[in-house]
Amino acid sequence: MLFHLRNLVSMGEVELSCRAYVKMYLHACLFPRCSINGLLLSSSSSTGGAVCVTDCVPLLHSHLSLAPITQLALTQVDVWCSQTQQRIVGYYQANACASDSSPTPCALKIADKITEQFESAVLLMLDGNKMSPDYRVPPIVMYERKDSRWILKDKHTIMLRQWEETRAIAGQMLESGDHLLLVDFDSHLDDITKDWTNQKLNSKIEELSSPVNGNI
Amino acid sequence: MASVSEMYDVGWEEMRDKLRKWREDNYRNSEQIVDVGEELLSEHASKLGDDVWIIYEQVMIAALDCSRDDLALTCLHELRKQFPDSHRVKRLSGMRLEALERYDEANKHYDAILQEDPTNTAARKRKISILRAQGKNTEAIKELNEYLEQFVGDQEAWHELSDLYINEHDYGKAAFCLEELMMTNPHNHLYCEQYAEVKYTQGGLENLELSRKYFAQALRLNNRNMRALFGLYMSASHIAASPKVSAKVKKDNIKYAAWAANQINRAYKLAGRGTKENKCSMKAVEEMLESMQITMS
Repeated sequence: MLFHLRNLVSMGEVELSCRAYVKMYLHACLFPRCSINGLLLSSSSSTGGAVCVTDCVPLLHSHLSLAPITQLALTQVDVWCSQTQQRIVGYYQANACASDSSPTPCALKIADKITEQFESAVLLMLDGNKMSPDYRVPPIVMYERKDSRWILKDKHTIMLRQWEETRAIAGQMLESGDHLLLVDFDSHLDDITKDWTNQKLNSKIEELSSPVNGNI
Repeated sequence: MASVSEMYDVGWEEMRDKLRKWREDNYRNSEQIVDVGEELLSEHASKLGDDVWIIYEQVMIAALDCSRDDLALTCLHELRKQFPDSHRVKRLSGMRLEALERYDEANKHYDAILQEDPTNTAARKRKISILRAQGKNTEAIKELNEYLEQFVGDQEAWHELSDLYINEHDYGKAAFCLEELMMTNPHNHLYCEQYAEVKYTQGGLENLELSRKYFAQALRLNNRNMRALFGLYMSASHIAASPKVSAKVKKDNIKYAAWAANQINRAYKLAGRGTKENKCSMKAVEEMLESMQITMS
């Protein structure tokens, strides 16, 4: 069965790259007892049509609703994006309570803020209940902004390229303990020699992706 | 698969000592505890003397954390044999039920303990943890408040309560809890820094000034706390940029912000020496500090 079903009207589609998905997944796996969040980035300059999420920056695993570190992280990621021709296009969160995949007030607030700079911003929640290996569907739900409210997005307009491969890579990296290499902004502040852009992890993901498929 | 002792070339004494360190420092590295503890218990239990019981307890809790019910049951079994009437072991049975999400049964266990011993704080705290696990934050807060009226010195409980209030966006009450913690732990830089973050989040000039003071205090207690350093920089910058402050206050805060920016730059330069890894973060920080300076002057 093809996972990516395409709406004939090509508005409101979101494409999630392997790299973005794997890092989000590993972030959630690294802190299974905490709520975690992060930013979704895009290096594609296409306006209108699909939103291509090509990367993500894991941010916090504690006190998500406190302002200073969130503000700091947003500013720094913004600066990094402008240095690397990327832009912030969305936000992801996984709640500590695995059975609750609804966005918290602070998730909505941050997503609103991102919308100020990018109209088609995406809010993505990880569904803790679906993260075990027996689930073959992506454990994510997406929200989009309509009339100043965030509503659940039709899952047929979310595309993961090569889902089976992505899922396999995520699983394999978790097995080999690669999630321990992931650095989020919180960990960076504990030790500023750590790299929150996760270049090392990006390389590993690229290595594992099948060369036949070309770009991720 | 290679054993822990083979992989890390350690003897049983080192494994035992590592477990003790993790116990004393209250680490929650459950996967590691399970790896080390399971091997230690299955191969060297007889050498551990009386320590073996506390290790069974430690490994059992870690096993629950990793969904290793098999291992948890083994440990629980040993503990039950040795301490058949113990409330402490009964609490562990309760925790196992919690891990299996059998909350009603777990609550019955804890209620039974409290019937026999109403002062058993461990059982009360487990009941509150169940409320948290079920997402019943408001009830957890209510119970925790009642608990603290009786056990006003329980630091762990105050911190748990402040966390709950932060999650509920009730920053005023979170601040109150952190004030309690700062009073009883005046040298703890983390409490100062968290308090400052809460004040910053509450917003408004007065809270910003308080937040700046407490970020500064956190730095006095630990000059390597990066969150406090950035916090000082941001709060001072915001105060300086506010139209409501006097010229003197503006000048002072520009000074504080400049000092903090300097310290941040130094810290990142030091961190950047010899590694290519964090070049990105360094560049991002530099540019951020530059751009904020421009908006302030």
